[in-house]
Amino acid sequence: MTAQIDNPQLHEIVVSDKPSGPAAAAFVAAGIGSLFVGIGVVLNEYSAQIKSLIGIDFNAFLKFDANFGLGNGVGPLSGKVIVAVLAFVISWAILHLMWRKREINIQKAFITTLVLVAIGFALTFPPIFTLLLP
Amino acid sequence: MELTDREIWAVIHGLILGTLFLLAFTGGLVGLWSLQARYVTVAGLKERIPRLGIWTGTMAVVAWLTVFTGTWIVYPWYRADPTKLGIPTDVQSEALKDFPRYWLLASERTAQWHEFGMEWKEHVAWLAPFLATAVAFVVAYYGVRIIRKPEWRWPLIVLFSLAFIAAAVAGLFGAFITKAAPVA
Repeated sequence: MTAQIDNPQLHEIVVSDKPSGPAAAAFVAAGIGSLFVGIGVVLNEYSAQIKSLIGIDFNAFLKFDANFGLGNGVGPLSGKVIVAVLAFVISWAILHLMWRKREINIQKAFITTLVLVAIGFALTFPPIFTLLLP
Repeated sequence: MELTDREIWAVIHGLILGTLFLLAFTGGLVGLWSLQARYVTVAGLKERIPRLGIWTGTMAVVAWLTVFTGTWIVYPWYRADPTKLGIPTDVQSEALKDFPRYWLLASERTAQWHEFGMEWKEHVAWLAPFLATAVAFVVAYYGVRIIRKPEWRWPLIVLFSLAFIAAAVAGLFGAFITKAAPVA
């Protein structure tokens, strides 16, 4: 979608238009990456409770430095951020491929991104992610 | 006058990359703010879009460099475990000063710098590269076409500013925590 612009001079610029899909994909992927940072924080903080419920120790899993040799002494932060980066890159690639030739409503993509970023941001905020800790 | 390796990396992470980030944000924000059809000519647009790409691209690259140096170089020094050397962690002793996390936690007076400040900083900083990269991509991919999409301007400004806010929270707490317990 191309909006009407109010400067006649700029009509001289002759370039083929590009669909909005790739921009929407980049926005939403940034939101997904942000959300995964927050999810990683919660999974690590509540790992003892989660382990007692379903048997998975996220604190141990997220130590990518020790488990996969990615750094030394970074601890669970290594896993939280590597998972978030992978979520960002993979979701971007998938959305880009899905939307690269499509017109996507950029306002809807933007609102979606804001919601994802807000949740991710909130889950990194200590008074929120420690709310239910015993 | 000399700096230790740790101090050099702390300066690269916090001061040098932080300053570049601030500069790139300012340039990018000014470029996005004034990117309105009624303000530009064809020549002006062709001149300013590549520059906007440089500012937003620089901010994205610097954001990635900052979080990587912070997480994989400086942070392990911050959270190093003194108990492996038999150093008690319940008193803010001289020996404990080389272990900032444990030094902060050894006193109720300073514990919040870690429990609130560092816990927030180490995570929220990672939102900045995602958001900055998305904005830089859109500017690079669409180039001068952006002027024909005025409804994109505010989303770009907001996401670019959110990247800055996330980095600013991290940078501010980084400065306070370094003041309280330097990685040196």
